[in-house]
Amino acid sequence: MSVWLQILDTAGAALVLLGATICLLGVVGMLRLPDVLSRSHAATKPQALGMLIVLAGVALRLRSGMDLATLALIGFFQLMTGPVAGHLVARSAYRTGQVDHSGLLFDDLDEQLTEET
Amino acid sequence: MSAPQTVDRVLLVAAVVLILVAGALLLARIWRGPSMLDRAIGLDVCAALIIAGLGAKSAFARDPFYFPIMLVLAILGFTGSVGIARFIAVRDRPPGRPHGERARHSGEERP
Repeated sequence: MSVWLQILDTAGAALVLLGATICLLGVVGMLRLPDVLSRSHAATKPQALGMLIVLAGVALRLRSGMDLATLALIGFFQLMTGPVAGHLVARSAYRTGQVDHSGLLFDDLDEQLTEET
Repeated sequence: MSAPQTVDRVLLVAAVVLILVAGALLLARIWRGPSMLDRAIGLDVCAALIIAGLGAKSAFARDPFYFPIMLVLAILGFTGSVGIARFIAVRDRPPGRPHGERARHSGEERP
């Protein structure tokens, strides 16, 4: 095994470790933040950034074409489906009154909801 | 086994341990979480952590055996939290929150 392949392997392992650290930090943020919206802000770090870095590390260690395509598909679908769930959770949190309104500078949704009723 | 490969193994085992610790903390969040929406977000992050853990295992063993499972989790992992946010959380309120004037915005009359 040449030196460059070994460097790729070690870089991949280091990326996987970095992604795992970001996942852990995001979960710590979910434990400590006080609100549904701020918790969902912390929850996007493992979902998008941490997982993409882990997938990049796996791609650096498994260097064949089919595996790279599958990893790209995994990252693509994760990025597609994450915002849908986040949007629906935040919408439901607003409409059930679990949003701290004192922390908001602008609240356009409030005016629109009041206007309809 | 050469020294760089030992370094790789140590890094990957540390990554798996970190993901396991994150999963345990996330279970505490799902257990405590004052509303169903917190649990829904926790389920999303749980799917992401499973994908990351399977990725670390694949990088450790250098086999793509678990990639289809990761793909299915990435596609379908959000359906549970969408269902909770759409159908369960509008009926479930955490106790002890002042509603007052905000009560007219509640989800019951406008789901």
